[in-house]
Parts: sequence; structure tokens; C-alpha cells
Amino acid sequence: MALRVSIGLVIGLAVGLIYGWVLRPVKYVDTSPDTLRQDFRADYVLMTAQAFSADEDLEVARIRLAALGPRPPVEIVVEAIEYAVAEDFSQRDLETLNRLAVALRSAPSAGVDGP
Amino acid sequence: MRRLAWLPVVVGVIVGIVAGLYYAWVVNPVAYTQTAPASLRADFRLDYLALIAAAYAGDGDLPRARVRLALFADPNPADTLGALAQQRLAAGRPVSEVQALALLAGALGERPTPFAGGETPPPAVTAFPTRTPTPRPTALPTRTATATPGAPFTLSTSQPVCDPDLAPPRLMVEVRDRSGRAVPGVEILVVWDDGQSRFYTGLKPELGMGYADFTMEPGVAYTLQVSHSEEPIAGLVAEACSAPDGSDYPGSWRLTFVQP
Repeated sequence: MALRVSIGLVIGLAVGLIYGWVLRPVKYVDTSPDTLRQDFRADYVLMTAQAFSADEDLEVARIRLAALGPRPPVEIVVEAIEYAVAEDFSQRDLETLNRLAVALRSAPSAGVDGP
Repeated sequence: MRRLAWLPVVVGVIVGIVAGLYYAWVVNPVAYTQTAPASLRADFRLDYLALIAAAYAGDGDLPRARVRLALFADPNPADTLGALAQQRLAAGRPVSEVQALALLAGALGERPTPFAGGETPPPAVTAFPTRTPTPRPTALPTRTATATPGAPFTLSTSQPVCDPDLAPPRLMVEVRDRSGRAVPGVEILVVWDDGQSRFYTGLKPELGMGYADFTMEPGVAYTLQVSHSEEPIAGLVAEACSAPDGSDYPGSWRLTFVQP
């Protein structure tokens, strides 16, 4: 009796997992930027840096970077720089990213540090 | 009795399936941490498009902007960007953001057949490149027509338009550079007795990237000035036109500005 229930459980569990993970997994169609793959994240940061180089609006840059998660924006940019170096981005891209990192380090944070 | 012997197995299978689905869907669902921009929620997707345009405004790299836009598999990104510019203008978003969207929409709209003239085509984006997102063009890309900094636009033609299909009446502006190419992203200021407004070329790609229009109120006199132009154009009133049936209707204005 117990053996039969156990066999049934194992079969059912396997079917459930295959159906849930393989045949019909949870679909994330409305994702947010913080789930982006690392290369897309790096490109997102690069775009933010390129936009910053045109408008020099650090507040807008901070808002854009905030979409990538709750970490400090400068950390997000540094992570992108590390990826860019590892993946051999062009010198111009590295300089653009670096300018944003320098600006973020130089400017006072936007009210997140408290008194 | 033999049928009942299988009952525990069936019960086990059902309980197992429920437990498996609960684990796979609730406790430990497939985690999508490696997503692509195309899966972003609609509002994030629009922000991403605006960011692509802002980046293009910064570096002027059209092939790279094309590759980034290709991630969304939009058959007509110029129209999408133009519509987004209009939405954001209406929503009171920063002028720089609207101009960037109009500029990129114009760049895409004016060059529907890309990669002529020595540009290196960007790679097909079935998978995002892990290195620099796009290769640099081997030759300097030919930039989309933009206003030559500091060069003023001058009024080339100004004429009333009587067209019964144009209702309500409009101020229709066309801006071209010195080589005759339409210029998107040009700001136009229009002032009347008790108000003023700004509009931009390139927000209606279907009518041309240097085109912009503003709806007139009959009986109101407008003064219009294109940014980087030397003088405002005053006294623009929707003049009365006669329809074939003898009735009157307010007419529009068409003004063309060029860089001398």
C-alpha cells in the first residue's frame, strides 16, 4: 500500500515538475531592467553614460541607473566598466563610462545617505 | 478489488502532480534573471527606447542605435519613436528627451535603406554581442541632417493654404538644411495674445522629418519663430477660404524655413 502510494507520488512529482519547469514554465513577459542579462545591463549603463555625456544631467542618470536595482549607482557603473574591460569594449566607450563614474563619485549623493 | 489496488497509485500520482506544480510554479519557479530588453514591461520598454535615443543624441552612432532598436523587432521603429516623442511631449517630459527621440526617428526615417555610402552594416541581432554592442563603422557614418550649429534658418516661403480637407486650420512648418534635407528635432515657438506653445519637427514622420504643425484657432493672430532663426514671423491668421458650395472655412498656413 505505502509502496504504491510512494510510486504514485514519485511519478506525479516528476510529471508536475516536467510540466511546470519544461512544458509550461512561469513566463516573465513583463520584466524590469534589473533582470537584464549582464551584457544588456552593461549596454544599458553605457547608454546612460552616453546620454549623460550629452545632457550632463546627473540626476537623470541616477534615475536611469536606479532601474537596474537598489545598489548605489556608482557600483552599477563600476560593474559595467569591469564588464567592458573584460569584453574589450572600445576605448571611447570606456572613457564614456568612466566619466559617468567620476561624476557620480564627485557629486553629493541625491539624499540617500542621510545626515 | 483489483481496481482498488491501483487507487493508492492514482492518489499518489495526483498528489505528486499537485506537489510538483506547486514546487515548480510557486516555491522554486524558473527564474528569469538573464532577460533581454524585448521582455521588458511596456513602460520600461518605452523608457529603454528613450534611452537609446538619448544615447544616440550623445554619440551620434546610428548603426549602434539601429542594433539596439533591433532588439525589439519593431518593423517600423521610426514611427514608434515619433509617436513616443509626441506622447512624451504631451506628458511634459524634458525637451531634451523629446528632441532626442525626434532626432533618432528622423535619422531612421530619412535613411530607410541603410548602410549605403560606405557604412559597415551592423550584425544581425539574434544574440546580443558580448563585446562592444556594435562594431564601429569603417568609414565615418553620414549623419542625418541636423541643423548646423549657429546657422540661422530663414523663411523661404510663406503662403496661405485653402484646403477644405485641412480642418482644423494649421500652421504647417517645413524645415530644411542648406542641402535641402529635412531637419528633425527643431524647436518652433508660437505665440499668440494670451499664450504660447512649442512644437518640434519630426514628430510626424509620415509627413516628413522636417515637418511640424500647430492647430490654429480662427480669428487669433499668431507669431511664429523657429529656433536659430533670425526673426519671428508675425500676423499669421487663419484666413477665410471659400468652399465650392459657397460656404467659408478657415484656411491654414504653410511656411518653409531653410538654411541659406
